[in-house]
Amino acid sequence: MLRPRGNAVRRGENWRGIVLIASTYVYFLIFAQFGFLKRLDQIGIAGEALKPIMAAMALGGILASLLAARMKAATAARRLRLALGGCAAAAALSLLPLHSAGFLAVSLLIGLSLGGLTVTLVAHLRLWLAGGRALLGVGAGAGIGYFVCNIPQIFAAPPQRIALVALGACACGLAASLQTEEAAEAPVELPERKAAPFSLVLASLTALVWLDSAAFFIIQNSPALKSGTWEGAAHLWRTGAVHLAAALGSAWLLARRGTSQVLALAFACLAAGCLLLLDPARSAPAAVLYPAGVSLYSVALVAFPSLLMPSVTQEQRSRRAGWIYAVAGWVGSALGIGMAQHLHRVPPWFVGAAALVFFLPWVLRYGRVYWREGAAIGVVLIAALAIEHMLGDDPAAPRAAESGAAAKLAAMARGRRVYIAEGCINCHSQYVRPHSPDVQMWGPAGNPEAIRREDPPLIGNRRQGPDLSQVGARRSPLWLKIHLIDPRAVSYGSIMPSYAYLFRDGRGDDLVAYLASLKSPDSLSEILKQAAAWQPPPAALAQAGQLNGAKLFSEDCATCHDSHGYARTRWGADFSRLPPDLAAARFRHIPRNQSTAERRASLARIIKFGLAGTDMPGHEYLPPDQIEALASEVMAMRQGR
Amino acid sequence: METMTLQSGMEAPAALLNEPARVSSPAGAAASEPLSVLTLAALHAVGWLTVSNFIGVGLAILLLWPRAGAWLAPWSYGRWMPVHMNLQLYGWTSLPLVAWLLKIYRADGGGLARWSRTALVLWSLALGLGSLSWLDGHSSGKLFLDWSGYVRVFFPLAILFLWGVLAAAFLSNRRGEGNALRWLKLIGLVLLLLVPFALYAACSPDIYPPVNPDSGGPTGASQLESVLIIVLILFLLPYGVSRRIAARRRWLVVSWVVFAAEGLLCLGLGRADVSNNRPTQFISLGSLLVWVPLMPAYYTSFQWQENTRRWRMAVLAWWAVLIPTGWCLFLPGVLDRLKFTDGLVGHSLTAMAGFATSLLVLLLIGLTGPEDNVFASRWAFVAWQAGTGVYVLIMLIAGWIEGADPAFTMVPNTTRNVIYGIRLCCGMAMAAASAEWLWRLHLRLRAAVGSSTGYAFSTARARAQ
Repeated sequence: MLRPRGNAVRRGENWRGIVLIASTYVYFLIFAQFGFLKRLDQIGIAGEALKPIMAAMALGGILASLLAARMKAATAARRLRLALGGCAAAAALSLLPLHSAGFLAVSLLIGLSLGGLTVTLVAHLRLWLAGGRALLGVGAGAGIGYFVCNIPQIFAAPPQRIALVALGACACGLAASLQTEEAAEAPVELPERKAAPFSLVLASLTALVWLDSAAFFIIQNSPALKSGTWEGAAHLWRTGAVHLAAALGSAWLLARRGTSQVLALAFACLAAGCLLLLDPARSAPAAVLYPAGVSLYSVALVAFPSLLMPSVTQEQRSRRAGWIYAVAGWVGSALGIGMAQHLHRVPPWFVGAAALVFFLPWVLRYGRVYWREGAAIGVVLIAALAIEHMLGDDPAAPRAAESGAAAKLAAMARGRRVYIAEGCINCHSQYVRPHSPDVQMWGPAGNPEAIRREDPPLIGNRRQGPDLSQVGARRSPLWLKIHLIDPRAVSYGSIMPSYAYLFRDGRGDDLVAYLASLKSPDSLSEILKQAAAWQPPPAALAQAGQLNGAKLFSEDCATCHDSHGYARTRWGADFSRLPPDLAAARFRHIPRNQSTAERRASLARIIKFGLAGTDMPGHEYLPPDQIEALASEVMAMRQGR
Repeated sequence: METMTLQSGMEAPAALLNEPARVSSPAGAAASEPLSVLTLAALHAVGWLTVSNFIGVGLAILLLWPRAGAWLAPWSYGRWMPVHMNLQLYGWTSLPLVAWLLKIYRADGGGLARWSRTALVLWSLALGLGSLSWLDGHSSGKLFLDWSGYVRVFFPLAILFLWGVLAAAFLSNRRGEGNALRWLKLIGLVLLLLVPFALYAACSPDIYPPVNPDSGGPTGASQLESVLIIVLILFLLPYGVSRRIAARRRWLVVSWVVFAAEGLLCLGLGRADVSNNRPTQFISLGSLLVWVPLMPAYYTSFQWQENTRRWRMAVLAWWAVLIPTGWCLFLPGVLDRLKFTDGLVGHSLTAMAGFATSLLVLLLIGLTGPEDNVFASRWAFVAWQAGTGVYVLIMLIAGWIEGADPAFTMVPNTTRNVIYGIRLCCGMAMAAASAEWLWRLHLRLRAAVGSSTGYAFSTARARAQ
């Protein structure tokens, strides 16, 4: 089917452009930049042996980017298909057990093919994307490309499977480029706007790729940063979603605000991300800012040379696209990786210097008008810094716990700071009201005078979870640790979020120490008294018969007492005594001379209040009928039903 | 003229409810200016309201799907909560009052307008930096007084900068004002100067207010003190956004006399850790019931702008609910059951989303002028009021159940999930309403300064000023 000349892209066929952009990004991101390196590592090529192979790829990329702009031998569509074929061949060859020289050739082929592919695609993108939604198409293509690469099954796949994904991407690209008829390119409807100068965009994109490559390398080679950013399925899905949203947002902003503002926003995100990566404890915000910044500029990297450059001839457009991909793409990337390899971080001075490229024109433009206001805001910001430095008190700052000044603090005191920093007070109270149902549930009641002496009192005002003022007497440190890491492992249906990340740097252990310290001198004896005095209402036993005891057991007990229970298998070695098999083991805390009814009642009390001083927690929040049903279930298990 | 009967049985004040008095816009001149300081203040306030509401929606989602928290770690529920609450208090609730002060001290025009705008930017900058610090785990450990580290200094300095603008406005405008007004403004300035220092001191972990030993919450005397401060603010707000009716001076006098008596009562109660079971505490707090009829009566002494009827009705309705329920929730037996539960969350919503928001919208309409009222949308009004009403009701129900079964909201069950699902819907309705107001404000400012350049960086306009 041929397309009429003069109308290169028919309505509804922008999908071809989207697929081509997405395929190119998938190939570059997941294979050329990532999977190929994994493959080399798998073969055993690392260190110095790696350098010439990567240099070959960069050299091929630079050469092809510059040469592709001058190629006129065949039609653009044919050149694109040739480049895609080269990419596919390189991906297929990487599956072979080659030696260093063979991989050097494959690497060169990747660089040559990818350089040709990118420049040909962006220089002639109007063959496959047109109309008022062309920019949106670029955003969708880039966003989908990044999203696909962050699908956990792909991101964490072995290098062979990644190569197959790259082959698939090439096949999709080839399919999309079929039936392309060379013609006068279709018009692209974009809002009129003063175009950003080419030299400024080139410098900006180089700085952005530099930052991006450095940040990626640093995260990828730092276990602490990697675990806080894109390790694990949840992180990867989130990163993919951020990429997709930012790419679409970038297209929207490019249409309304122009290239300069999008690049400045991308820089703000990437620069903030790079600065946050200086401290692994702050990697979480970096994990959002970094992909947002990358997607913002990646869309501009395609859209500027293809759609947004001021009116130029096709030849000029191709040449400029070649320069952008050679300098910003390949050279910027090499410089970023080089910086990361030597410095292991992005120095703040470099971020500051790069900021000048982006913001100096704005500072000069608006500073003339708003210099008084800007100066006033600057004075207040600096004055606050000076005063804060002078006063020097940040009583609740978690950072202080890591600094030398506060290193002497005991684990409990540090844990209290963690408790404050994490906002535990927003869900947990520390105040058992006297003469109220609180006492049986979380008691005994505290001493108001002692609470007032705390610095500050952490009474709280809302219980989305239990009161914690005596939690040290009711739960063991191990139970607290498991609950903080995986709440639902030991507390069925718990709505508490996981705080596993606190255990990466010791804060979790401090928090456990603090929570374990939350008890009064008489709390253990008071709880024992409570347990001894507890009697379920007479109706509870009758109601218990109507409940499914086995289901309750599987929800509340099996995690520790079943031989395949999650907490038992995961944490078995940490228990002070492995939780017994309730069907067979002797009850150490129930006298043998008790009658069956008495043993059953004792069992119910243990389920309700736990065993102080052991890892057995109470189930204070369960209603009496459920406690009775559980006791009946355990008795039935022991009697072999 | 239409009338309405309040819960107290008092005849509704017509001027407050139904008389669209043709009050010339006090902010008329300023409203027609590009980048009007007062409209900009409204934009900042509603902007923070919207941000906070969407965070609230996120928090409601987390309570229903706690596993989603793994996506946010380490920005957990606990770190987002202070952002949500503090943006409501220091953003949405405070910035309209800042705008009112700028109007009263006449700092919203002339040469001081640029510094007023700078003060607003500093205020919002402090909120932005504060939000980042709370998300980063910096907190004093005191609810609503979480300012810690750098922002604990920066925010009071931003307030001090605002005070400087007000002081400069007072000095430059004092000649054109009568003696009484001048003295009142001077006293106001002296009191306002205490605010940044008091805020810094209050954030200290060493200072903690009196505690009711039976509930762990505030004492009756503390609550009486807080409500009287709010009453004082309510007394002052009509000045500058409405016109006093000379013939109705009687209610002003009565209100001030009662306020003075209540102040003496408050002083007599002192500050100590006293239980709500003490009759002196709950009876004293019950004295606030007098304001249910008296505050509307006070407001009848002023003529209000047209186009604000529905918001005035909302203010009255929420006030009539807020004071009696607040007192009931303090009574022995009731507080014992509802303390620490969603019941008190519902009451907080009555105060903040119901009463305060209706009042602040009324204030902003008064400050920015009745023309092109950005709060005119009927659907947004209904979404906000209905969302708040249902929210309060279901939280009271949840709190009442939770009072008998403390595990009710901790362990997922169908009733709890349904209630929390409804709460999420209410939150979404309220967030949508605030987004509508923000969008209208954005359009209004864009129209004022021209869409081509964008109001935030309109250099040409700035030069013209």
